[in-house]
Amino acid sequence: MSVLKFSKTHEWAQVENNLATIGITDYAQKSLGDIVFIELPALGSKVKQGLQFGTIESTKAASELFSPLSGVVSEINKELINNPQWVNEEPFVRGWMMKIKFENNNELNSLMDEAAYKEFVKKEAH
Amino acid sequence: MELKKTPLYQKHIESKAKIVDFGGWALPIEYESILKETREARKSCGLFDASHMGEIRIEGKGALAFLQQLTCNDISITKKGQLQYNLLLNDSAGVIDDLMIYNVGDSFLCVVNASNIDKDYTWLKAHQTAEVKITDESPQTALLSLQGPTAVNVLGKIAKSAFVSGLKYMHSIEEEIAGKKMLISRSGYTGSDGFEIYCANSDAVVLWDEITKAGKEYGLALCGLGARDILRIEAGYPLYGHELSDSISPLEASLNWVVKFEKDFIGKDILLKAKAKGIAKKRVGFIMEERAVARQGYAIYAGDKNIGEVTSGTFSPNLDKFLGMAYVDCASSAPQTPVTIKIRDKFYKAKIAKFDFIKK
Repeated sequence: MSVLKFSKTHEWAQVENNLATIGITDYAQKSLGDIVFIELPALGSKVKQGLQFGTIESTKAASELFSPLSGVVSEINKELINNPQWVNEEPFVRGWMMKIKFENNNELNSLMDEAAYKEFVKKEAH
Repeated sequence: MELKKTPLYQKHIESKAKIVDFGGWALPIEYESILKETREARKSCGLFDASHMGEIRIEGKGALAFLQQLTCNDISITKKGQLQYNLLLNDSAGVIDDLMIYNVGDSFLCVVNASNIDKDYTWLKAHQTAEVKITDESPQTALLSLQGPTAVNVLGKIAKSAFVSGLKYMHSIEEEIAGKKMLISRSGYTGSDGFEIYCANSDAVVLWDEITKAGKEYGLALCGLGARDILRIEAGYPLYGHELSDSISPLEASLNWVVKFEKDFIGKDILLKAKAKGIAKKRVGFIMEERAVARQGYAIYAGDKNIGEVTSGTFSPNLDKFLGMAYVDCASSAPQTPVTIKIRDKFYKAKIAKFDFIKK
């Protein structure tokens, strides 16, 4: 069974067993504006929870992407590189960025579930 | 400090614009999507609130001679109803500001960058001669810019006389819209056909409403600062604070066409010397060969030699290219010169290009 988790830096992780698919949230893409460039990590590279795994650029600015979990990159969304607008159009579907094999289940507990994230966004928006 | 608001601020809020602090002004950066607005302004038309821009009126018997001395283009060749792109230079021939000067017959209206209003006004006052009156009309003047191929249709629908569609590029007329007197010019900051309309603050909302209503059938989009910036980069127009500054000369800025050496003006001697000696760096355009946004301040290399830096960079949705403007050593400034641009820790390939990107 899969669970959807969220970080305070507005990334989401769809977790199934020890595989997590990672992207940014609808709130994040809306605040960034039109996405024109994405830089993703190399296959097999290690990412750390809370640390940068890539860069995303909108028409307004460049921003860092932070990994919600630690692990090894097992797949990246290569098509997204040439279609960065997918992050705006479907942040949870075609806008996924990478899949990682993660090691530490405790890290999952530090992330928010959907209800908690909605509350978090409400507070941040004010 | 509280942000300054244009008379259209409430309109922007109603239209759900994203408001940002732009040099102390609360202005929309986008309404819905910068890229969409940029495309629509190029394809049909876009409406911009440019009321933050400054308007300084120069009048009196000595006005022409005064402006001739203070600016490097030749304003004496303009007739009533014409406007001219011009530059205010300091004693070292650096650009104090770039401006549009309207010859409206009995006076000249200088339209200047919002961030430079105080600096320009102080400079003008410091050089004021007899029989010249200088008035900053910025606080009571609004400016709407209607840009794009269908702009002429929109304006034709709301202007009192049909003359508006016959107005020539870089010409202006006084015209009534919704019973209010306005100054309209065929000009703009996008490189497309378009109009700029000046009115009293109190008439701005009515004008905005008239344009948006008439624009419905012509694909009018409300456009924010984000679209304005991409459109001007696509047209190769410099922006003060990016391509122009107090320490950059018009020759370096590749604005030689604005410098008229046949007349006297502040900074002329310095420019003549620079011209004779040759300049070291100049403004160019560049087009990325790879997907990457090169932003202001990023270093440019020819081989392993640092030859300059980016002053503006963006993704152009109309050309589907990453491009921008830069200052580079003249030796590497020819179009097609291969360069690399350092973005974060990587080097991305680019080519020097002419900067009127949309004309190609």
